Amino acid sequence: MTPDFLVNGPITGEIIADYIARMEKSTEQGAHSLFLGQVRADIKGLKRVKAIEYSAYEKMTSKEGENIIGSLLKEFEDVKNIRILHSTGVVMAGKISLLVVVSAGHRHQAMAACTRAVELIKERLPVWKKEIFEDNTHEWKGNELA
Amino acid sequence: MPAEEASKQKIQNHRMEIKVLFFGILAEVTQTMFRHYRDVTSYEDLMHRITDDYPELQHYNYRVAVNFEITDEPPVLKNKDEVAFMPPFAGG
Repeated sequence: MTPDFLVNGPITGEIIADYIARMEKSTEQGAHSLFLGQVRADIKGLKRVKAIEYSAYEKMTSKEGENIIGSLLKEFEDVKNIRILHSTGVVMAGKISLLVVVSAGHRHQAMAACTRAVELIKERLPVWKKEIFEDNTHEWKGNELA
Repeated sequence: MPAEEASKQKIQNHRMEIKVLFFGILAEVTQTMFRHYRDVTSYEDLMHRITDDYPELQHYNYRVAVNFEITDEPPVLKNKDEVAFMPPFAGG
């Protein structure tokens, strides 16, 4: 079964707790490394970010998500399981928009693979973000002019 | 390939229907999330028609994916292919 890589809205405490609860069902892994990405209320000039609106190329996200997991499992032999979950839609400042959980036999590969997973997600996952300011104007991130 | 089949495929290739998608800021500047181009003859033909329809695209950085695969070389399109215009990724 293909895991879901995207969830509409923020990644709630309930979702994160559910991931942790599910770890208890497996006894072959001794270390879990977890990364959470949070929406910052950045200040841009006189404006403050109140939310980020994410959009994704859903079909390509599934394919690239599978590719990222496949390449990490090959690179880190001790890693047993990797889950990636990214928000789409509006996520208010302070809320969580990215969850990465890497489970391995031992801590070193769990942590190294988690760091690498986040880098690959930034580099390869077809997701875009629009910062929405408190005055409801917006700015695309990564939209540099040619 | 038998001549008859080759010629049939050539005719089909000359009548391709391609789904084109725009993401991120490109959906905003083109005011289009997706549209279909009909009677497309080649990738070059498609790109020509898109840049005619949306000249503002030239001001932006983007990469093109064909069927969810980023392509740097001009690909050979098939009927019903999906072509996506993607600005730099900004996930996380």
